[in-house]
Amino acid sequence: MQANPVSLSDSFIEELRGVVEQRLSTSAAVCLQHGKDESWHESLPPGAVVFAHSTEEVSEIVKICARHKIPVIPYGTGTSLEGHVGAVYGGVCIDLSEMNEILNVNAADLDVTVQPGVRRKQLNEYLRDTGLFFPIDPGADASLGGMTATRASGTNAVRYGTMRENVLSMTVVMADGRIIKTSSRARKSAAGYDLTRLFVGSEGTLGVITEITLRLYGIPEAISAAVCPFPDLESAVDTVITTIQCGIPVARIELMDEVQMKALNAYSGFDYPEQNTLLFEFHGTEAGVKEQAELVGEIAADNGAGEFQWASKAEERSKLWQGRHDSYYAAMALRPGAKGMATDVCVPISRLAECILEVRKDVDAEKLLAPIVGHVGDGNFHVCFIMDPDDADEMRRVEGVNRRMVLRAIAMGGTCTGEHGVGIGKIEFLVAEHGEALSVMRAMKMALDPDNIMNPGKIINL
Amino acid sequence: MTSTFKPATDAQVLDAVKWAVADKQTLEIVGNASKRGFGRPVEADQRLDMSGLAEIVDYQPSELYITAKAGTPLAAIDAALAAQNQQLMFEPPDYGPLLGGAAGQGTVGGLIACNLAGSRRIKAGAARDHLLGFHAVSGRGEVFKSGGQVVKNVTGFDLSKLMTGSYGTLAVITEATLKVLPAADKVRTVLIHWPQNGVYDHGGVQAMTEALGSVNEVSGAAHLPAHVAARSAVDYVSGSGSAVTALRVEGPGPSVAYRVAALHDMLSKFGKIEELHSQNSKRLWKEISDVEYFADNQERALWRISVPPVEGARVALHILEGRPGEVFYDWGGGLVWLSVEPADKASQAQVRRCVGDVGGHATLVRGSAELRASVAVFEPLDAVLSGVTERIKDGFDPGRLLNPGRMYEGV
Ligand SMILES: Cc1cc2nc3c(=O)[nH]c(=O)nc-3n(C[C@H](O)[C@H](O)[C@H](O)COP(=O)(O)OP(=O)(O)OC[C@H]3O[C@@H](n4cnc5c(N)ncnc54)[C@H](O)[C@@H]3O)c2cc1C
Repeated sequence: MQANPVSLSDSFIEELRGVVEQRLSTSAAVCLQHGKDESWHESLPPGAVVFAHSTEEVSEIVKICARHKIPVIPYGTGTSLEGHVGAVYGGVCIDLSEMNEILNVNAADLDVTVQPGVRRKQLNEYLRDTGLFFPIDPGADASLGGMTATRASGTNAVRYGTMRENVLSMTVVMADGRIIKTSSRARKSAAGYDLTRLFVGSEGTLGVITEITLRLYGIPEAISAAVCPFPDLESAVDTVITTIQCGIPVARIELMDEVQMKALNAYSGFDYPEQNTLLFEFHGTEAGVKEQAELVGEIAADNGAGEFQWASKAEERSKLWQGRHDSYYAAMALRPGAKGMATDVCVPISRLAECILEVRKDVDAEKLLAPIVGHVGDGNFHVCFIMDPDDADEMRRVEGVNRRMVLRAIAMGGTCTGEHGVGIGKIEFLVAEHGEALSVMRAMKMALDPDNIMNPGKIINL
Repeated sequence: MTSTFKPATDAQVLDAVKWAVADKQTLEIVGNASKRGFGRPVEADQRLDMSGLAEIVDYQPSELYITAKAGTPLAAIDAALAAQNQQLMFEPPDYGPLLGGAAGQGTVGGLIACNLAGSRRIKAGAARDHLLGFHAVSGRGEVFKSGGQVVKNVTGFDLSKLMTGSYGTLAVITEATLKVLPAADKVRTVLIHWPQNGVYDHGGVQAMTEALGSVNEVSGAAHLPAHVAARSAVDYVSGSGSAVTALRVEGPGPSVAYRVAALHDMLSKFGKIEELHSQNSKRLWKEISDVEYFADNQERALWRISVPPVEGARVALHILEGRPGEVFYDWGGGLVWLSVEPADKASQAQVRRCVGDVGGHATLVRGSAELRASVAVFEPLDAVLSGVTERIKDGFDPGRLLNPGRMYEGV
């Protein structure tokens, strides 16, 4: 995959050292680690890794790289899943994890400004005493810069939205090293084109995000969570569909199929029924939570659900959601030594049951191990293929099932990726999904990064 | 001579733009032209009238989205949704009368181009947060589509967001898919009647901040000074002769009652509390979202000012010191509607200064064509941002043919 990585001359490295001094590494181990994410994609190591400490440093580094036309790959925590951080053409990785300060909590306006290396758990621990929280929770403890760059979401998106709805403004170092702030302190920005959302989800291909202002929420007065088994996938998904169509503001509504429930019990020490299951969480006032729980309870009962098992204590809930967040690792533990490939289609909610059932059938017919979990309230679900990448026949079957599922989802008006992003792994599907829009995206990329130095080889091929 | 093209199909839109590209003709894009007076005046060679593309293409209530052609009147969308007890959550406003025209003329394309949203914006977001996908013709004369029917997708650059609020300067939208949701069972509004006489703008903002910071899921927060409240068609608002702060709560019956009671307790320290039921609530929030109070007095300049809510009242009162004008607040104080005299360059410079000092920005929503051509209508961009803006424009529309100068001179 890494055909001709650029070589970095000694004098170029010296120039970078002039900015970051000792915070630069060219060691093979550090470079290999920074060229790899949490997926099965192989490492594509950069030629050097720098650990930046400020916006100005990032700007200086990018200016040097721009002058020499050397690729720049921003790096948060490397938990992405589509080869996002791979240095396809070599170059310089800018590791932002040491820019991890929480700069300013503005409780009255419900926002916070952070450096990009701040991780989501760190932020919520910091916020705890303020009565506020930040809801977006991808399974991994990712950096907020990486989450912004991948437009991440998580289990709360059905109520709180994704990074798209929750990033208010940011500071970005552009491909020529210039620094911009995408919008002012006034949150309902209306000045000019919506640059904030253009950079949210740009996967490091338009610039390096060095500061982010995020929207915060008050911790709800009441929270309760429940686990509820269903006789089959269809009745679980029908429960989801009706809940969403009724406009019940559930905070979380997650599906785990019977295979994943087995993995969850084994990995996280639960003993839930090993059936297709929905996990719920309700947020609001005491009265609101009770009301939502009753309404959803009725819908579930109509669909033949089993008992709700409630988790009202904070510790029980956090154990439950940690279990949900560890799904990927729990699934891999079902077959020690195997690798995981998490798919990410999203379909209109009315087509969800059909889409999941067909892929389940396909997985079984191809005799693959592939538990299913889903942020089903958004129509988004992950089939996690547990596979041996060295087994060519198995990989061929995996790819077949995956391709059929993606094309089916696109045909249903859905998308190949609801939250993980494109990286290297989904470039080919983007063509099927977007067609002519790719030429607009290409024009956009060329307009903002004419020398194609920002994370080249991702999202679109120029 | 300017002629008007009125395509009836997507293919005809494409033909028109392709012709414009080939002949280097600039195009002014209009729906029903209801917001033509909003933004800088466009001087274009030809006009592209999108009102002929008016059709709801796909609406099945259970799917929770609606797809319509760009020229479809919003009134038609609202009616179709209301018949199924659904709605667009961002509460699209109707600025027809505000801009000196008739009500009910706005189209889907115009709504997206201007990224409008009503009072529920604080809870539900703006138009751009509800646009799931669209079809368009770029200024290169190429058809493209982006997004689809799903609420989440991360397939590359978010063109829906870029398109929303671009005032037709990037591409001609031909079709849009918007997210819809069930309308709430119950709507209630908690009113605070402030004591008579005196200025309560700061107090109003403080009360809104407290209410919005509470767990009561307030979906509308506005403050009307006494002389603005006096113009409301809702008796409970106009009758008291005092300034009024309004807080809206929506949802299923029991939890609405609970939240209204909680707000009542929380806010009674500020003034006398009253409650509006569904009909009156709907009337009031339409007045506020549509800025009906400032539809008269058309010769006054009208500003839409975005500031951090804590600064709103101070900025507004400062601008109005010694000038005839009026103000009211929506979005918990973060949105300031301000009408002021005289509508001239000096007063616009003062508005920009006051707003700029607190990191906010201001849009001149109404003013004579001469004024709008001679001053910045939108918040001016610094050199770096204008460079980025021009590069994006050129990516979509390298000939700068679409709505030239509508947002910024030369773009
Ligand atoms: C177990 C597990 C569960 C997951 N669950 C979810 C989930 O539920 N939802 C979800 O959305 N994702 C999920 N993910 C994927 C991943 O966590 C997200 O994509 C996350 O946002 C990546 O953040 P990161 O800090 O690790 O970024 P990285 O992997 O370091 O980088 C990701 C991309 O962003 C770019 N980037 C990083 N920082 C910056 C910056 N400061 N400026 C510009 N570009 C930058 C990189 O160049 C790269 O292209 C999961 C991953 C794992 C391993």
